[in-house]
Amino acid sequence: MLKINNLHARVEEKTILNGVNLEIKPGEVHAIMGPNGAGKSTLGYVLSGREGYEVLEGDVTFNNEALFDMEIEERASNGLFLAFQYPVEIPGVSNMEFMKESVNAVREQQGLEPLSAAEFLKSAKEACKQVQLPLDFLKRGVNEGFSGGEKKRNEIMQMILLKPSLCILDESDSGLDIDALQVVANGVNSQRDDKRSFIVITHYQRLLDFIKPDFVHILANGKIVKSGDASLALKVEKEGYAFLGKEFEGVEA
Amino acid sequence: MSQWLNKVIDDATKVQDYLAPVRQQALEHLRAEGWPTGRNEAWRFTPLSSLKEREAAIDQLDSAVASKVESIPGVDSIDIVFIDGQLVSDLSALTLPAGLQIHSLTNATQTQQTEITALFGAVKPTRHLFGLVNDALCQQGIYIEVQQSAKIDTPVRIVNLATQDTDAHTRVLVNMQNNSQCSIIEYGSGTEQSFTTAFAEYRIGESASLEHYRFAFFTELAKQVGGSHFSLHDNARLNSTLVGYGSELSRVDVDIIHAGEHAKAKMNAIYLLGEGELFDLHSTIEHAMPNGTTEENARGIVGDRARAVFNGRIHIHRDAQKTLAELNNRNLLLSRRGIINTKPELEIYADDVQCAHGATVAEIEEQALYYLLSRGIKRSKALVMLNFGFIQELVNAIPNPAIRDWLLPLLSKRFESMEVK
Repeated sequence: MLKINNLHARVEEKTILNGVNLEIKPGEVHAIMGPNGAGKSTLGYVLSGREGYEVLEGDVTFNNEALFDMEIEERASNGLFLAFQYPVEIPGVSNMEFMKESVNAVREQQGLEPLSAAEFLKSAKEACKQVQLPLDFLKRGVNEGFSGGEKKRNEIMQMILLKPSLCILDESDSGLDIDALQVVANGVNSQRDDKRSFIVITHYQRLLDFIKPDFVHILANGKIVKSGDASLALKVEKEGYAFLGKEFEGVEA
Repeated sequence: MSQWLNKVIDDATKVQDYLAPVRQQALEHLRAEGWPTGRNEAWRFTPLSSLKEREAAIDQLDSAVASKVESIPGVDSIDIVFIDGQLVSDLSALTLPAGLQIHSLTNATQTQQTEITALFGAVKPTRHLFGLVNDALCQQGIYIEVQQSAKIDTPVRIVNLATQDTDAHTRVLVNMQNNSQCSIIEYGSGTEQSFTTAFAEYRIGESASLEHYRFAFFTELAKQVGGSHFSLHDNARLNSTLVGYGSELSRVDVDIIHAGEHAKAKMNAIYLLGEGELFDLHSTIEHAMPNGTTEENARGIVGDRARAVFNGRIHIHRDAQKTLAELNNRNLLLSRRGIINTKPELEIYADDVQCAHGATVAEIEEQALYYLLSRGIKRSKALVMLNFGFIQELVNAIPNPAIRDWLLPLLSKRFESMEVK
C-alpha cells in the first residue's frame, strides 16, 4: 500500500526528516509516537503534499505509484486522507458543499457517478450522527466556530464519507476528553477492514487503548529509531523516551 | 497633445448637424483640456499610451452586417445593434409595446430633435474626456422615451460590437417620464484592435423606476471607454448592475445624480480580470437633494499582471440632509503581480447624514486552499469555492432571474480559466 524509502524532507531551511523508512500493508494500523519536534506532523504533511515541505531525498510509493509525482488533490482522490491536527476554518463554504465536492471528486476518480444531492444528504446525515455532531453542523461554514473537539469529529466524519484506503490521523486525540476520544476511536474502528490502512500519529498511548495498533514506531530526530508491537507504546507511557539515549532523559511521553 | 486627439478635433469640426451647438461646446472643452497628463487624477492609474498615438481609423469600413446577436436565454428583449458604430437594426421594423418609443439620432423629426437636444449632455458631466469626444463625434445613437406611467416589461438591449479597426462613437439617451418603468441592458463586446466610446444618459422622472445593466465585455485589443449617467428625480428608483472584463484599455464612468428628493439608487459592480487585462471603474454619486439613498458595492478579482482601478466618490451637497450613502469595494488578487488601485472618496457638506465607505484587497488563503485540495477537490474548483462566493453574492442580487442564470456560468467559467500565480 505505502512504501517510504529513505525519506529526507525540510521545511523552509530546516531539515526535519532524516531518512524515514516504513512499509504499510493493506489492513494494517501503524502508530507513530515520538517527542515534540521529532517530525511526526511533518511526515503527514509531506505525504499529503503540503506546499513548503520539500523532499530532499528518498521516495514513496502509494499503491505502487510514485506519490511525489501526484498533485495534492490526486493523492486524495487516489485514497490518501490526512485528518488534520488543526483543521482549517473556511467561512463562506458550507460543510455540506465542501464534503459533497470532496466525495464526488473521489467518486469521479473511481469512475463512479456523482451522488445526487439527496443521496449525499442521506449519507452525510448518517456520518454526522455517527460522530455525534448535531445535524446543523452540515450547514455551517467548514469548521467555522467549531470547538477543538468538534473539529476533530468533523475530520472523522469526512473520513467516513470519503472511505480512503490510507488514513493518516495527525494527533486526532489531542485536546479531547474521554467521551470525545471514544467517538473518534469508534469512528476509526468502524472503518477498519483488511484492505484499509491507518497511520495514527499520537503523543499519548491512551488513544491506542481504543485503536489497537499492529505496529508502533518511535520517531526521533527525523528517523524511526525503534519499532515494535503495541507493547512498545506502553513502555513509552511508563518510562518516557529515556531509552532512546541520554538526550531524551526526562522527556515525558 | 496627442496625434489621435488632434485628429478627433479635426474630424469634429467637420460634423454639421442639429447637435452643432453642443458639439461646439464639447470641442472647446477638449481644446482647453488637452491630453491628460500623469497629474490628472481621473487617469492617474490608467495608461492611455495605446491610444495617444493611435493612427486614424480606417475610413473604408467593411459594410457592417447585422449578424445574429446571441440572445440571453429567457430574456425576450427588444434588440438594437450597433456594429463598429453603425446602427444595423431597422428601428422601423421593431414592434414596440405601448408607451415605448425608440428613434435614431440621425433620422429625427423636428420635434424629436428638440427632445434629443434637451437631453444630450444634460446628465453626463463635462469632465469626462472621452465623453466630450463622444459629444463631438457621435454620429449614431438612439433616443428612447418611456411615456408617463408606462410599465415596459420587455427589456431593451443595446448591443455594441467592435469587429474591425475603427473608432466608433455611439450614444444612448433615455427619457423616462414620471411614474414609468423599464429595463435597459447595455451590452458591449469585442476582441479586435479597435476603439469604441459608448455613453448613455438616463433621465429618470418622478417615481419612475429603471432596472439597468451594463456589460463591458471588451477584451484583448478592443479598447473601450464609456459611461452610464443617471439623473434621479423625486422618488425615482435605480437598480444598476455593471459587469466588466478587462482589455488593453477598458474604462467605465458612472454618475448617479440625485436631482430630486427621496430617490433610491443601488449599484452593484463586478469585474473579473484575466492575465494582463486592465479595467477602470470611476463612479460618482452626487447627492444634491435631501433624503436620498445610495448603496454601491463593487467587487473584483484580479489575475496575473492585470490591473483594476476603482474610484468611488460620494459627494453630499450642503442641502442633502438625511442622506444615506454606502460604498464598498472588495478585491481579490490572484497574483503578486496583479495591481489594484482603489480609492473610495467621501465629500460631505451636510451634517445630518449617514455615510459609510470601505475598500479591501485580499489574497488567496493558502491554508484553506490546501485543505480543500487535500480532500481531492480539483484546484480550479477549490478556487471557485473559496473565492467566487463574494462575486456570486452580487450576481444573486440581480433582479432578473434569467439574466442571473445566464451570467453566473459565464463568470464562473471565466474565473476558472484564470490562473493563480
